[in-house]
Amino acid sequence: MDNELQAEKKSVPFNRTHQAIEAERMLRRIKDDFSDNPDAMDYFYDLYEQVYCKGESLHKEEKVVGTMCVQVPEELIYAAGGVPVRLCNGFYTDDQVGAEFMPAKSCSLVKATLGMLDKGSTLPFVDKVENIILPATCDQKRKAGAMISEMGYEVYDMEVPPVKESEEARLYWRRSVHNFAVSLKKITGKKITKANLKDALAKVAAAQKAYRTLHVLRKESPSIFLGKDAFMVTNAYFFDKIENWTAAVNRLNAELEQRKEKKITAAQRRAPRILFTGSPAIFPNLKLPVLIEESGGVIVADETCSSNRMLYDMVAVDEYNTENMVASIADNYLKPCTCPIFTRNDDRKRKLLNMAKDFAVDGVVYQSFSGCQVYQMEHSSIAKALQAEGIPMLFVESDYSPDDMGQLSTRIEAFIESLKAKRRRKR
Amino acid sequence: MRNKIRNFLNNGDLGRFRFWLQLSLFILFVYGGYAAINMGDSLPTFSCTYVDGKPGTCFLVPLQHRMVTTPEKLFSYAGMAILTGLFYFTLWFLVFNKAWCGYACPLGAIQDWITALRKKLGMQYVTYSWEQFKVLKKIKYILLLLLIFIPMGIGSGIFSYDMGVPFCMICPARTILPIFSGDFSQLTIDFSSKTKMIMTSLGMLITGIFLVGAFVKKRFFCFFCPMSALHYLLSKPALLKLKKDGSKCTKCGDCYSVCDMQIKEIADDVESRNILQDDCIMCFKCVAACPEEGALEVDFMGQPVFEATVQGYIKRMEKANKNG
Amino acid sequence: MNCFAGIDIGSTAIKIALIDEDKNVIASRVTSTGSHFRKNSVDALHGLLAENGLGIDDLAYMISTGYGRKLLKEADESVSEITANAIGALEAGRKYGEIRTIINIGGQDTKAIQIDSSGTVTNFAMNDKCAAGTGKFLDVTARNLEIELEELGDYHFNLKTAPLPINSTCVVFAESEIIGLLADGHGKEEIVAGIHYSIAKRTIRLAKRIGLDGLVYFDGGPALNKGLVASMEDELGKKLVIPEFPQLTTALGASVLACEAYLDELEIA
Repeated sequence: MDNELQAEKKSVPFNRTHQAIEAERMLRRIKDDFSDNPDAMDYFYDLYEQVYCKGESLHKEEKVVGTMCVQVPEELIYAAGGVPVRLCNGFYTDDQVGAEFMPAKSCSLVKATLGMLDKGSTLPFVDKVENIILPATCDQKRKAGAMISEMGYEVYDMEVPPVKESEEARLYWRRSVHNFAVSLKKITGKKITKANLKDALAKVAAAQKAYRTLHVLRKESPSIFLGKDAFMVTNAYFFDKIENWTAAVNRLNAELEQRKEKKITAAQRRAPRILFTGSPAIFPNLKLPVLIEESGGVIVADETCSSNRMLYDMVAVDEYNTENMVASIADNYLKPCTCPIFTRNDDRKRKLLNMAKDFAVDGVVYQSFSGCQVYQMEHSSIAKALQAEGIPMLFVESDYSPDDMGQLSTRIEAFIESLKAKRRRKR
Repeated sequence: MRNKIRNFLNNGDLGRFRFWLQLSLFILFVYGGYAAINMGDSLPTFSCTYVDGKPGTCFLVPLQHRMVTTPEKLFSYAGMAILTGLFYFTLWFLVFNKAWCGYACPLGAIQDWITALRKKLGMQYVTYSWEQFKVLKKIKYILLLLLIFIPMGIGSGIFSYDMGVPFCMICPARTILPIFSGDFSQLTIDFSSKTKMIMTSLGMLITGIFLVGAFVKKRFFCFFCPMSALHYLLSKPALLKLKKDGSKCTKCGDCYSVCDMQIKEIADDVESRNILQDDCIMCFKCVAACPEEGALEVDFMGQPVFEATVQGYIKRMEKANKNG
Repeated sequence: MNCFAGIDIGSTAIKIALIDEDKNVIASRVTSTGSHFRKNSVDALHGLLAENGLGIDDLAYMISTGYGRKLLKEADESVSEITANAIGALEAGRKYGEIRTIINIGGQDTKAIQIDSSGTVTNFAMNDKCAAGTGKFLDVTARNLEIELEELGDYHFNLKTAPLPINSTCVVFAESEIIGLLADGHGKEEIVAGIHYSIAKRTIRLAKRIGLDGLVYFDGGPALNKGLVASMEDELGKKLVIPEFPQLTTALGASVLACEAYLDELEIA
């Protein structure tokens, strides 16, 4: 990029950049379009304000290790003294930057992430990212690695088996994770030991425990917590300090318990309960979840890699020595993974059906980004499986551009209306 | 009230419970005889006949004895004795299913204590590769067949009586368990005949392998145990069951990570309800390590007695991390 | 006397339906959206009420639908045009039998809706990203051939030979193609029929995604075009149910929903 142009860009104060304005707009919508937000959510709203609207840096002293995709074992990064920050980006502003050099039919998420990395970024914590861990998942993420290297970052390609059922796949992935664990020393300068890995496991387990408690609280009917806030909470896990995040979620859980006692609900009793699945909704691209809840639905659960799948599966260790801990961690990141990059999606079907039943869901909204072949190819088998259980599904194709709001709202409203009508007939 | 009991059980510290139960039953099976306890000679566990204070005898002993006969006698009155013994064996077995292995077997307890020693020394365990696993797991069936047919061979004159009770000659329980009452007499090689020399040498060798094996691999011997094979063949109607609800399973593999026997089906099979495999020792570590509510459970006569719960999982894992 | 109104605010036209408590149609109106749709809607509504000897106080409940539904603050409630269209088709189609599928070709979009016996939407597919196969295509065609929209049907049936295949999928590029075909000496009848089949093919393809069992109801302004209807029936392989006033089905549905909503509220109270 032209030096003069770059200098000019830097001279704009962060909070007046397009990015900050985009963030602000969505943040306003999330806060103000809904009444009676839990007090504990203020921590998260303020966090987004701080990071995305004011451009403040969170991780000043630590070594930030960028990750792309949910298969990267965070415990290992924490053990090696680094801080994992998920780079998957939700900004339309960055999507447009990425569109300058990416093929037209690309996934918005990859375009936005590349756009962010290319600008040398206005996102503060990304300024200091030198190392990026990139698992070889979908086509677009895989090819992005080479492009990111050319931008000047150190990219570590993590090998992921495309078939996950076989024993070969298990061993392949265990090897891949082992190699990654060894390579971390070069990245952070610290070696992974039994002690620091145990601590890392405990840290992540505490965060997962907090999330699981929140997850279970969302089963309440009528709902006591809105999906838009749930996404804000889980999206914050991408970049927040883990101890702070865990404490904030625990405070939120305590407040929600109180609301449960006092019978304060977040949605109307008859609000259709929605399970959200598919391409990840990442702040500020929360337009679909927000639209669903503005139209009278409530998202009670989700199956996306920007939310549920990051925090759901908990690791069990039999003996606390390094090799066994790494093996347990490796298995836990591969076997239960319901990402559509794998050949079969039986695990995803089972998970969705189980969640739909568990959360008494009225309908499923399946989002897919334009250009995302894997999610699009899975949607009809998922629809069939859900239909067999009498659960209607709405498939929505979308991207980061704000110009499809009218079309989205028609579809979402029609879906919510049909769910309400179904409920009414049942009564 | 019912919920209170349920929560108490599901949140329980399985490791601690197991340690104390194993210790108590070890004392029973090694010293119980001194208290004149008599449990008969059809026990479904290694309550070894060579142990002075045994409260009863392992069924494999009378089984092998009674198989030393000719085929004609086998299919008449000699066969009756075997069936009677098998009947009592089955009764004992059906109550606790393969939990006899995980909680009662003194040889199993010894292996678990050796494992504890290894853990204290901070050493890592060894596992079989999938190819090795598939081949080696057949050995228990071969041993079961051998301990039935070699005695028959002795009875028909094909093999020498010097082979003694063939399986007991190679079973590590014979050499190791008597040590706990100060009896080292089984740790010898008998030079009185060639057959005896071979059998006792084999016995010593296998004892050595057992000790080394149990040190590097969790529950080493159980993988080859013919008692385990016999158990599995009768396990269908047992009262204690290990059940799985595949619709709740996320395939997270936590159960597989903690399984001493490297059983894959516990994690990978999401269709079967009765998830007991032939290698399973019913230690229930899998249920304790499962974070999905209701995915795994232990049933007794159709009632759940220990279920996988999120709360239980978190409690146990937090404790394990602190202490491990 | 209580009456209920449904207002369908489309991109080209505003459609209003007025019904009474027994769901009988009192009156209806189609007017142009113009640039001030809110003002135009309100004026049209007041005009329609006055013409039928009713005042705004007789209007018990009003539901708006269509792309401008949320901005009409005068309405009591808004519903998506899919839901409204479904209910409208169920009502208007009752005399023909049990409607199961609805195909709507609007000014700028096309919809296929599947309903159950109570009118609840069970599945739908929409094309609202591209003008091909919508009423726009017919507008462009009529303009380029210098004929009136209403004449399209006649030209279709006057054709003695086979319809011309139109290759362009994009409305904008189809314009150039039409001009080219005219220059080549092809007749207007051939071209009109070709356009009709092109639209019919796309629409039936869209509708197949949600299933085409049972009676199929066809509405939206273009349903008045008998030539288009003929090509649709040809592509579909069976007869379509065409209502008397196809542009009003959605507005009718909205008015029926208004009536039901009002009665629901009374029940709760």
